[in-house]
Amino acid sequence: MQKGLLEGIKRGETVLEARGITKRFPGVVANDHIDFEIRAGEIHAVLGENGAGKTTLMNILFGLLQPDEGEVYIGGKRVEFRSPLDAIELGIGMVHQHRKLVPAHTAIENIVLGHPRAGRILNLKRAEDEVKELCERYGFKIDLRAKVWQLSEGEKQMVEILKALYRGAEVLILDEPTSALTPPETKKLLASIEAMAEDELAIIPFITHKLPVVLAISDRVTVLRRGKVMDCLEIECATENSLAKSMVGREVIFRVERTKVEKGKPILQVENLSAFNDKGFLALNGVSFSIHEGEIFGLAGISGNGQHELAEVLAGLRQAAGGQVILEGKDITHASSLERWHKRIGYIPPERIEVGTIGDFSLVENIAMNFYFDDDFSHRGILDYRKIRQLTEEIVSEYGVAAPSPDTKAKNLSGGNLQRLILARVLSRQPRLLIANLPTQGLDVGATEFVQNKLMEAKKEKAGILLISEDLDEILSLSDWVAPIYEGKFMGIIPGEEARRESVGAMMAGSKEQVDCSR
Amino acid sequence: MRIGSYELKLEKRLTLAGWQAAIISILAIIFALALFSFLFILAKINPLSAYRQIFAYAFANPYGLPLTINRFIFLLLCTCAFIIPFRAGLWNIGMTGQLYSGALGVFAVLFAFGGKALPPPHLSPALLIPLMLIAAALGGAGLAAIAGFLKGKFNVNEIVVTMMLNFITFWLVAEMIKEGGPFMNPGGRSESFDVPPSLYAPLIMGIPFTIFLALGLAVLLYYMFAKTKIGYQIKAYGHSPAAARYAGISTFMIPLLVFVLGGVVAGLAGYHYFAAVPGVYKIARNYAYFGDLAFYGIICGLISLGNPLAAIPVALLFGGLTTGGRFVQGKLNMGFGVDYALLGVLMITLVAFQFFYRFRLILRPSKGS
Repeated sequence: MQKGLLEGIKRGETVLEARGITKRFPGVVANDHIDFEIRAGEIHAVLGENGAGKTTLMNILFGLLQPDEGEVYIGGKRVEFRSPLDAIELGIGMVHQHRKLVPAHTAIENIVLGHPRAGRILNLKRAEDEVKELCERYGFKIDLRAKVWQLSEGEKQMVEILKALYRGAEVLILDEPTSALTPPETKKLLASIEAMAEDELAIIPFITHKLPVVLAISDRVTVLRRGKVMDCLEIECATENSLAKSMVGREVIFRVERTKVEKGKPILQVENLSAFNDKGFLALNGVSFSIHEGEIFGLAGISGNGQHELAEVLAGLRQAAGGQVILEGKDITHASSLERWHKRIGYIPPERIEVGTIGDFSLVENIAMNFYFDDDFSHRGILDYRKIRQLTEEIVSEYGVAAPSPDTKAKNLSGGNLQRLILARVLSRQPRLLIANLPTQGLDVGATEFVQNKLMEAKKEKAGILLISEDLDEILSLSDWVAPIYEGKFMGIIPGEEARRESVGAMMAGSKEQVDCSR
Repeated sequence: MRIGSYELKLEKRLTLAGWQAAIISILAIIFALALFSFLFILAKINPLSAYRQIFAYAFANPYGLPLTINRFIFLLLCTCAFIIPFRAGLWNIGMTGQLYSGALGVFAVLFAFGGKALPPPHLSPALLIPLMLIAAALGGAGLAAIAGFLKGKFNVNEIVVTMMLNFITFWLVAEMIKEGGPFMNPGGRSESFDVPPSLYAPLIMGIPFTIFLALGLAVLLYYMFAKTKIGYQIKAYGHSPAAARYAGISTFMIPLLVFVLGGVVAGLAGYHYFAAVPGVYKIARNYAYFGDLAFYGIICGLISLGNPLAAIPVALLFGGLTTGGRFVQGKLNMGFGVDYALLGVLMITLVAFQFFYRFRLILRPSKGS
């Protein structure tokens, strides 16, 4: 491979171009004659729903996949990548959504790992100085000698970006760069990205949702739908609505409205509940609240503040360290998860792939996960697979799970479809108490809207709902009660109509008092 | 890859039908035999005639066939004992210990009813044979339950536990049958006392009735995994313990249950070899050999991908090759270990060919430049 194809390229000149990229997988055309081009110093976002073909395109540009048809040009010269190594050599860097770092090594060790100059004897000192310079130039604040496992998600991402830059990337592909970040981290990252673009780097963020982010930083945006380019716009010509429309193919209502439902009997009462996390620390520290029929109780907080432990204790997957859980007047603090399913508690777990579904199981077998124990679906220990299949077919069509057949394995489904499947399975048990743990995380605009609507329907059917989300806007627009959680404690319980973004945000960060926003 | 004007491509399979898997396995066996014929050629033996003799002895010889069938029954039981925990994602490396422990159970029953006495007393087979079977099952289950309990309760690695229990049971058997041990043979010889002739397992055309036990179990297990609630729970746990827990499946009961069931089946293998095979009827001095043979259950289980029905032909093939291979080695004056080498090549090829379970080769006219 020739090196230095990008030397001497000036701002505004095309660095990377893809023409007529087509990639087929058995049964689908993931990329259908996609044209894409990026110039030096440009931020060109690629937008699309789950399954629109973003990942495939990204993998082709980075050499992880070879296109069936079409060509890739760098600096005007045709190139063929046999592996990511070729792409890296030619100045393409990629930051994956799922981190590819060695947790037990320090940040700087990860950055030099695989660098051609690292050779046999490491000169970490020199590397550290060089990387520090990069940090300063782009405003990354990070301790390079910290072990990666100690770093936050945002810092890990910085390490990945630095790794690509240190390797000499001129084109930086970012996969869902803001999905795991807290709002302040997002703000810093966007500033760094802009600084890099100033330096004539070409940056391609791939994004499923978070349209405001796209509008805030991009110069241009390409929208993909079902493997085709729907639009390629200068950002000035785009609005949140127009982007969403071309992404989803129809008008999208951004916020599902909170519907008022007559307050019913109490369903869940929690008294002074606490629990340990996996590392043995007290993660949930004495929370008390109650949920009534037809209410959504929204838990606002940044991951790792005890909300996950709370959800698991309520679902019977984690033992309570203290306190009491009462469901419709009965103490269920020590009930097993199976008993809780029988008592019509439904849990939507955030780990869709590891916990919510079984990848090697067919859709029918996945649906069986919440029904195999029902007498309706088994007779003397023999499962009634015909009945479960029937249910699966109903669910698949009602919830619009895109799958070739009920025998398709769950691992062949996209994230949004998996979530529809889980949601469908849990909701068709008509739960009295629904625990929705990060139900829309990572979903595209269309799927998010769908999930939120379904939660609203469950509410109208008098379910009590505990909604856990990192998306503050989602909590605020859906919840009847908002409880910001910080270090295992509620910072308050606020009626939904009175909750304001600023004050709840401050409470999520540990402030007890309500901030007066009028000042 | 391009070959002339054709293009050779690998494509991922999305589904694999049973018959496709069967064809791939048969191709693998043919390939392995072809590969192994180099060894015969090096020893200046015509491979075709060598294979003819192996298969003729294993499957068509009045002396070889019963040997093959008895090995087959033993192997099929060991394979099932491996498969049950395997479907729950757990590795039973302890069929050896479990079958010894089952055999000890069998001889404990005989001992308790005075079967050790000389001349051998007449004991009621209608009462004692079922008792011996139950004791074998309990013996195997009891030992395996240790591994299952530790796994379920404390998440202790089941491979290590079952492996270590093998050693313990091996020496326990030695202790019981050596001179002065309660099960010692009156003639010494480091063997157990003989099963009284009145309690020899019933034969059907010279084959112990345990063949029906083994085949019946394989079918039953297939049905269990395909249709029943408990089979579903085991599979769910096998694919993802976290998902199983979410679905309300007990992560304590499943490991315990699969090991108990596996132990029952392995215990029956112990009954079969030491109390039902004509000409044995005792814990023989070379009992370690059968313990080693039990490890082929792992191989058979892996090759049949945990499918108890597929395990039937696989166990039959391996049973035949162990007897036939040993036979030609002596007949053709080849070096020691030809039978093991043949089995080894076969195993590696079968496992390597599983690549084609996930991918297929496609040859088509190449297009473009």
